[in-house]
Amino acid sequence: MSVFSEGLRKKIDHYLTRYETRRSAILPVLHCIQDEHGWIKPEHIEELHSKYELDRVQVKEVITFYDIYKDKPTRKFLIRYCQNITCTMLGAKEAICRIEDHIKKLEAELGDDTPFGLEKFPCLGKCDGAPVMLVNKERVEHATVDKIDGLLSKYAPLPK
Amino acid sequence: MTQEKPKILLKFEGMPNGRALKTYMAHSGYEALKKAFAMSKEDVINEVKASGLRGRGGAGFPTGLKWSFVPKDMPGPKYLICNNDESEPGTFKDRHLCSVSPHMVIEGMIIAGFAIGANKGYIYTRYEFQEEIGQVEAAIKEAYEAGLLGKNILGSGFDFDLDHYTGAGAYICGEETGLISSLEGKKGQPKLKPPFPAVSGYLARPTIVNNTETLANVPHIILNGAKEFRKYGSEKSPGTKLFSISGALGKPGVYEVPLGYSWNRFLNEEAGGLLPGLSLKALIPGGASAPLLTPKECEDLTLDYECMAAKGTMLGSGAIMVIDNRQSMVELLRCTIEFFAHESCGQCTPCREGTGWLNNIMVGINDREVGADSVDRLHLVSKQMGGRTICALSDACAMPVMSYVQKFSDELKAHLAKG
Repeated sequence: MSVFSEGLRKKIDHYLTRYETRRSAILPVLHCIQDEHGWIKPEHIEELHSKYELDRVQVKEVITFYDIYKDKPTRKFLIRYCQNITCTMLGAKEAICRIEDHIKKLEAELGDDTPFGLEKFPCLGKCDGAPVMLVNKERVEHATVDKIDGLLSKYAPLPK
Repeated sequence: MTQEKPKILLKFEGMPNGRALKTYMAHSGYEALKKAFAMSKEDVINEVKASGLRGRGGAGFPTGLKWSFVPKDMPGPKYLICNNDESEPGTFKDRHLCSVSPHMVIEGMIIAGFAIGANKGYIYTRYEFQEEIGQVEAAIKEAYEAGLLGKNILGSGFDFDLDHYTGAGAYICGEETGLISSLEGKKGQPKLKPPFPAVSGYLARPTIVNNTETLANVPHIILNGAKEFRKYGSEKSPGTKLFSISGALGKPGVYEVPLGYSWNRFLNEEAGGLLPGLSLKALIPGGASAPLLTPKECEDLTLDYECMAAKGTMLGSGAIMVIDNRQSMVELLRCTIEFFAHESCGQCTPCREGTGWLNNIMVGINDREVGADSVDRLHLVSKQMGGRTICALSDACAMPVMSYVQKFSDELKAHLAKG
């Protein structure tokens, strides 16, 4: 029995032989696991260690070093909102406050089933579309406080 | 100096199907590669040296000189890496370039690989550029299908494989040795230099790491010659350069202008000027790590390495952030420090502790929980962070902090006095 789906096992096998060393596969393998499961679970790390010879300490240090990897469950839609210089100048703070407000209300109603999670993120490299956020992998530009409700309700209903 | 605006790097911008190999080929694409294959490796390196091309990632190191550091007779593999990890706050030119002209980058890489004797290359892109990663990977696939990558390219006898690698959200991976650590599947922690990557880099093999824009300049230099490249820009800063400009502007975006271009003209013509009713309060000319300039210092500013250095700041990667009169310098300094404190990789004490201290002091200033001497303390801590660490992140945090304190200390102190 594997904790990985057949499709995921194929991808892992592919990455393990794609680079000069197996260790270089750690980042791409973790991307694939997270794409499918939303986060990296302890049993994923154990199977990478026991069946794929990717050392658990080396895997864990990568997970904890890089911002993208999550070792705890995430919400269905993870909002990574840029709070760097240009986004701050063009209204990030106000928009973030409104998102936090929505999430608080949703949590009161739905608890762990709240569809949105929020992470304040370093620069996303799209300052010409500031303020900007990523919703999962999708880049959303001009996410100002007056537009944020319309932008987010495309993903899940907002509190009334 | 010419103030013409040639489109070399952004030639394909706005062109229908401009990203496709077919379009690239129809406009002399991969002709430079054919020309390079007919030259000796030394002649390719010498042409790039003669062009005076300087690294476009921030440091401005001469590219041809960097290539010449690769040991010529060392047996075994050598590597070429395209640093497409641009993470400096305010920078987004490589994102635009690799999306508009991925084949220009790929052709530049094959030529660079040929010149330094590398048969394997990687493009390392930051995770946040999901859309562009797809475009780069599609272009690599096209190049393989056309026989432009792989074995015996165009019958030259030269083999070059190219792969793409996606980062995972760490600013420090834009530092070349940090990037190499990341590509090896490790934490992206920089390494002490020497040895330089040109001698001992990826898997301890000779490795050249060049910025995306640097590599995209190579086909033009080889095809049209160093002299043609030097037609634009200045003696010490030749060529055109991409600038990413953002803020409350009419047309924020990425623009290609010759180095040495007038700042005032750039702001008003390219970037569409500040939005109506706003005025310039300060300028960050080269990303979050560049010291600020006041409006007075901007009056005769030109966009090149020398003028920026003379004004005590730097051109960096060409990331211009325009601060308008509505902005609070307390708020902007707070998010600058918070960024560097978050991104410090934690290896070196002056950086790990220094950025952390600055962050604590700054939060105190922002929340008005500390005395006015805290503003001076920001300066005192910053002064001790420079030149004492493995990489430049510590300096990159200290330099802008000192400039905020020097130029806007009244505003910082007035903020505290309000409390």
